[in-house]
Amino acid sequence: MSAIALTIDGLGVNFGGFRAVNNVSVTVFDGELRVLLGANGAGKTTLMDLVSGKTRSTQGKVFVYDTDITNWPEHRIARAGIGRKFQIPSIFRDLTVRQNLEVANCRNPSVLANLRFGFSRAEADRVDDVLTLTGLEAEQEMTAAYLSHGQTQWLELGMLIVQDPKVVLLDEPTAGMTQAETRKTAEIINNLKGRHTILVVEHDMGFVREIAEHITVLHLGEVLAEGSVEDIERNPKVREAYLGSKGIS
Amino acid sequence: MSIERKFQIAAYVIFISLIFAAPVIGDEFWLNRISKYLVYGMLGVAIALTWGYAGILNLGQGLFFGVGAYMLAMSLKLSSLTSLQQGSDKPVPDFMLWNAEPGAPTELCCINKGSFLWLPFQSQSVGLVLGLVLPVVIAGALGMLVFRKRISGVFVSIITLALVLLVRLVMVDAQPVTNGFNGLTDLGWLTIGGIEFDPYSRATYYLCAACLSLTLIGARLIVETRAGMILQAIRDDHVRARYLGFDVSLYQVFFFVISAGIAGVAGMLYVVVAEFASPTFMDLSFSVTMVVWAAVGGRSSLLGACIGAILINIIEAEVSETEALVEAWKAIIGLIFVLVVLFMPRGLGGAAHDVVRWFVRKPKPGQPFPALPQQSEVL
Ligand SMILES: Nc1ncnc2c1ncn2[C@@H]1O[C@H](COP(=O)(O)OP(=O)(O)O)[C@@H](O)[C@H]1O
Ligand SMILES: [Mg+2]
Repeated sequence: MSAIALTIDGLGVNFGGFRAVNNVSVTVFDGELRVLLGANGAGKTTLMDLVSGKTRSTQGKVFVYDTDITNWPEHRIARAGIGRKFQIPSIFRDLTVRQNLEVANCRNPSVLANLRFGFSRAEADRVDDVLTLTGLEAEQEMTAAYLSHGQTQWLELGMLIVQDPKVVLLDEPTAGMTQAETRKTAEIINNLKGRHTILVVEHDMGFVREIAEHITVLHLGEVLAEGSVEDIERNPKVREAYLGSKGIS
Repeated sequence: MSIERKFQIAAYVIFISLIFAAPVIGDEFWLNRISKYLVYGMLGVAIALTWGYAGILNLGQGLFFGVGAYMLAMSLKLSSLTSLQQGSDKPVPDFMLWNAEPGAPTELCCINKGSFLWLPFQSQSVGLVLGLVLPVVIAGALGMLVFRKRISGVFVSIITLALVLLVRLVMVDAQPVTNGFNGLTDLGWLTIGGIEFDPYSRATYYLCAACLSLTLIGARLIVETRAGMILQAIRDDHVRARYLGFDVSLYQVFFFVISAGIAGVAGMLYVVVAEFASPTFMDLSFSVTMVVWAAVGGRSSLLGACIGAILINIIEAEVSETEALVEAWKAIIGLIFVLVVLFMPRGLGGAAHDVVRWFVRKPKPGQPFPALPQQSEVL
């Protein structure tokens, strides 16, 4: 049995009386890809905010392997091995595509360690590889603000790959994408599988079937069900929670 | 190396050659005036470094300039003849004697309550060192306070603005120690290693030219490091940068401190050239003027901001020769500022950059020229 990469233990937050996430426990094994499913407002983004340090939790704990990272500042959580992609793609708009990846490639985050010029051959190769993987080679000298929506998403994914965190949190990586773009995104994510532990929020069931092994369903801030794709699709509680919407299709 | 890069290096080389060649064409009064403008050029670089590269609009840069200026001015005041010929063999600033209580000892230690603060400044090196160290320490402490608390954007501007006004008030108020409104005048000459820097000499001009050149090259190099790139990334999206593991506030403090250091040195040079230090250095209008220089020259171009500062001052000097225009100058500079902001948001530097790009990558026929990146609004 492999090690547990991410332990979320009874995690919750109370926004002035409203528990957006309540007593959520999830464990993700090393190298696993876990999908987080849930209707709008279920608390998926908030859960990622709690894990990555954007929001301070009011109950529970989070561990990366054996390190307790509960309520650490964001940059320390990042250094402990958690990388994150935001629901609204967030990149460095005025830098070139290549520079975006290079920033992610600065392994030592301290100011003084970065008072040097350029990157080694190996570091440059790494950026080149990711440019190939994300299909952004031709755009590498372009200012990132001019990328299409899909390309922006891929660039952010690329930054994560360069950053090489142990655990990757992806918040709706295919939101607003065309079908072709979604397929390519699935390809990139499948490529990450095994090398990273991944927790991904996703709505698109076609996409989920393509990438997922294991699914955790969140409903009203709590874990509703957990299991394989088939289990979840058959689960009556899940069907009920999605009632009114078209069911999970 | 890209052609744009070559143009950029050429621009630096040409500019630095020009300022070193300038003494050929003018007399000593002209040189003294241009020396001041070179000092202003350093302030342009300091502003561009924080505003353009870090997205921090400091509306109180005059604080660091003023502190640097006063530190050296105190030393130079004590080495001036007026301080030595006061009936005592130890130097005492003339204004302290004029205002001394009857019977007070005519010594620096105790002529008034605050005069002991001047004691270390009997050595010029103390003034020189503090002129750099004090602005840096103040900037470091202020930066830690502000950036650790994740204050950003217009709030940083307001805090820096308030601080410079506060310090100005204190300086004016501490009349017995600072000579209040009148500032420090009748200063001696800076002497380093036996060289006396007569403000009207070429030596002084070259000192300013050398400091400006070093500032430009140093600042350029530092923004080209990885740290400089990370700083720009932080400017674009500090949240994203945090999730890559960067301690954002440390980067902001680091570059804020460098900018303060440049302003401190500029303040010292100004004192050497102009032979006075005054609370007007900490006037709000002066700090805002620096920002205008940088905006016109191009806030995201170090050389552009520097040239902007020098150019505006040369124009201002020309304009003041014509009597009718003296009064109008404020309106003219205001108009220039508005026009630049409206039509050339990246200033002269940005415009130069666009022109070079246009020549380098002529658009293919039938294809629109790719739009240039608009700086995201920093304020
Ligand atoms: N900072 C906050 N303060 C108050 N309520 C919040 C805050 N952040 C999120 N919420 C609420 O928590 C719930 C879960 O939101 P979110 O995690 O964004 O859902 P999801 O990502 O699953 O669509 C929503 O009802 C949202 O309005
Ligand atoms: Mg969400």
